[in-house]
Amino acid sequence: MSDTETLVRGILDGDRISVSRAISVIENDLYSDRALRILEGINPRTGNAHVIGITGPPGVGKSTLIGAMVPRIAVDDRKVAVVAIDASSPFSKGSILGNRIRMQESLTRHGIFMRSLSSRGLSGGLSFSALGTIKILDAAGFDTIILETVGSGQADLDVMLLASTIVVVLAPGLGDEIQAIKAGIMEIAHIFVVNKLDREGAFQAIKDIEDVLATASQGEWKVPVIGVSASNGDGLDDLNSAIGKHAEYQARHRDRRSSVRMELNLIVESEIMKALRNAIEEDSRVTGIIDDVSSGARDPFQGSRMIMGALSQRIAGKK
Amino acid sequence: MFKDKPVKVLLAKPGIDGHDRGMFVLARAFRDAGMDVLYAGLLPTPQEVVDTAVNEDVDVIALSLLNGAHLTAFKKVSDLLRKKGIDDIAIVGGGTIPDTDKPKLEKLGISGNYGPGTPLSVIIDHVTKRATESRKKKMGSG
Repeated sequence: MSDTETLVRGILDGDRISVSRAISVIENDLYSDRALRILEGINPRTGNAHVIGITGPPGVGKSTLIGAMVPRIAVDDRKVAVVAIDASSPFSKGSILGNRIRMQESLTRHGIFMRSLSSRGLSGGLSFSALGTIKILDAAGFDTIILETVGSGQADLDVMLLASTIVVVLAPGLGDEIQAIKAGIMEIAHIFVVNKLDREGAFQAIKDIEDVLATASQGEWKVPVIGVSASNGDGLDDLNSAIGKHAEYQARHRDRRSSVRMELNLIVESEIMKALRNAIEEDSRVTGIIDDVSSGARDPFQGSRMIMGALSQRIAGKK
Repeated sequence: MFKDKPVKVLLAKPGIDGHDRGMFVLARAFRDAGMDVLYAGLLPTPQEVVDTAVNEDVDVIALSLLNGAHLTAFKKVSDLLRKKGIDDIAIVGGGTIPDTDKPKLEKLGISGNYGPGTPLSVIIDHVTKRATESRKKKMGSG
């Protein structure tokens, strides 16, 4: 339908079909020349969007909250995009991308661009396609990009690091409010939200989180805990102003070098993983090693050491 | 062809029709067949269906209606898609569609048009076939 240059021009003009197609190119093959040419072409126009990460355990109401927040964010002609990441089945690799339904009305009314990405179980690949997607939306002139992930596991945490303001959403009655924030999310959250404020235990949950925060060392930014009810609108203005404050704080403290380093790390890591995976798949010796371990002739640790040996030979040989 | 990015399909009922049980059955079946499945939710307008399909860049839109409005509502979706100049997103149909209406839908490029009792495997095969055509067109554009 269109060549790479037309696609790049379309993105820069904010054409949604081009944006959508370009994201597909990134999703289809992360490392194809075409994907890299698109990213190269749009790069000068990136770096302006504010990326808000929304994460939290399943069922706390992240999608509903985004749907309720969008009208508050999409004011003064601000263009908003939503990127939602859903887990795919490890068995069939298929997925049901359901986040849209809970915000559809809001999306339509405010002309929001929304794209769902499914996680293919490969953390590096996911972060890379999320990064590429954000860059495309950024270059297309979206002022705010909301990135939603299910806050479980390292892959999702890595994706969250692409956001400049990270909002962790919890709800009362899950029984794991505190466990959830201990599992590594604590350190990255800029704002905590307790959704479903109308439910029993909400205020206790807020207090519990504040207690945990009080014992942690915090920098200049004091992490707020905000109670909201996405369904009846309580607290949403407070959340919006906290996000705004954090965006200002970020703008003052932005360290270009460190975010560039983070980005480079992410890209290099995912390329290494891809190269290693290919090398392992292609290497004929690996099949023999798997046979040996299956038959009990070797233990898995010996086996993996042999695979590592084969890999380093390949890498050395390629030079 | 679908190794890195599986078939992506949007399920939608573009009209006043709340019978979504069948959609849920299809959503599960498509997912288990390895597809990425989106469901447009209840009562989307044809415009919403097309906007979603474009934003998400799906391979196939699978429409279903049990209220007899398929000739108008399916056509609306097909027209809106064409108006955007998109020819690489396929449309398939299903629901309670009389045999006499099927050729009319086919003429619009809306294929399948399966009725109640159709085995899931038949529907999955058809969606996969149409998705393959779409993906070929999309990849050919590079």
